[in-house]
Amino acid sequence: MSDTLDHNGLPEDELLAAELALGVLEGNERTTAVQRAAQDQRFARLVDEWEQRLAPWAAEIRDVSPPAQVWDRIAGALPAQTARGGLWHSLNFWRGTSFAAGAFAAACLAGLIYLGTFAPQQALIATIEGSGNRHFVATVDTARGTVAVVPAAFSPDATRVPELWLIPPDGRPRAIGLLRADQTVVLALAPELSALVKNNAVLAVSLEPPGGSTTGLPTGPVIATGKLTSL
Amino acid sequence: MDLESNRSLIVAALGRIPAGDRAALQTVYRLTSAKLFGVCLRILGERAEAEDVLQEVYVTVWRKAADFDARRASPMTWLIALARNRSIDRLRATRMNRNMTPIEGATDIADSTATADDALESVQEHVRLHGCLDGLAPHERAALRGAFFDGKTYDDLAGRMNVPLGTMKSWIRRAMIKLKACLEQ
Repeated sequence: MSDTLDHNGLPEDELLAAELALGVLEGNERTTAVQRAAQDQRFARLVDEWEQRLAPWAAEIRDVSPPAQVWDRIAGALPAQTARGGLWHSLNFWRGTSFAAGAFAAACLAGLIYLGTFAPQQALIATIEGSGNRHFVATVDTARGTVAVVPAAFSPDATRVPELWLIPPDGRPRAIGLLRADQTVVLALAPELSALVKNNAVLAVSLEPPGGSTTGLPTGPVIATGKLTSL
Repeated sequence: MDLESNRSLIVAALGRIPAGDRAALQTVYRLTSAKLFGVCLRILGERAEAEDVLQEVYVTVWRKAADFDARRASPMTWLIALARNRSIDRLRATRMNRNMTPIEGATDIADSTATADDALESVQEHVRLHGCLDGLAPHERAALRGAFFDGKTYDDLAGRMNVPLGTMKSWIRRAMIKLKACLEQ
């Protein structure tokens, strides 16, 4: 079948993949093509390639924020969290943990000591992880508008420095400040950031040139992220 | 937001989902749901339907995140294809009950509404695709647009553009062949 050429010169399979990716098929034709993509890797790859060719067109579609209850419905539709199959059984989690356990425990302790200096109900904490490693532990004192970041399993990069970002629900990163691989850093939050540092906001660490990003957005790779949760 | 950093945030979060990390799914949702809701809404034309499908899309992301291969596709390509496919399935399932009047404004999206930066895709890819689409005949481009943005079938498009079904099929097939050749240049 793959050798059958359309009168225009492309294999029939390739045209079917294009039609499926574009979405013009219906009924049995669509069902058969979807089933084939699930079973035939070669055909599935052709479909992927067409999806890739067409996807940039979606840039023309205006973004529309869904109402907040959609996330609640998604969270409610996920299978209930059980020990089996969850984080506790994840090999990567334990791998990362065994490498980083000592450093992580130390970082937590440092975080708790820091927390000891203010009322715990005003505290948020995030473990900032990436590639199975817990790189930093951040604790936020919302009353004072400061964030303390303790290095855990972070290995310094020869040419770049770690920079901390806040990613509120709008998805746009805001720079908080530069971190150190060898010591705890306490950063003051700009007043406009204090309002955004909340439960479920995300902290991310990117690698930047010395002195940090000059564009206001991460320029290097984002190596780790973590969600803020109240203690 | 910086395209590459956003892409790596999404890839990193997708990578944590198979271990059962709900916060990772929430990160993916936070970074991508406005684009995907836009896609669902564009195809389905009704908010309630689009919200339902958006929910299905992210529950599917939760189940299938392990299938995503960052070496083969960009995360947005994967997510947009998922949102389009789910929306088209819903559209086909409900089409018997729908009146077939076009969605308001569906036939003509001005290019001024383009938000390439928000699509998280490379601007270069978008420009390249546009260059190639501009090289198609107007009727071919209109047919592809109707399929991509409104989820129209061959049948719908033949009716909309008032040509026989066979003619519509060969328009679209010829357009896809030209598009591929142009993108590969």
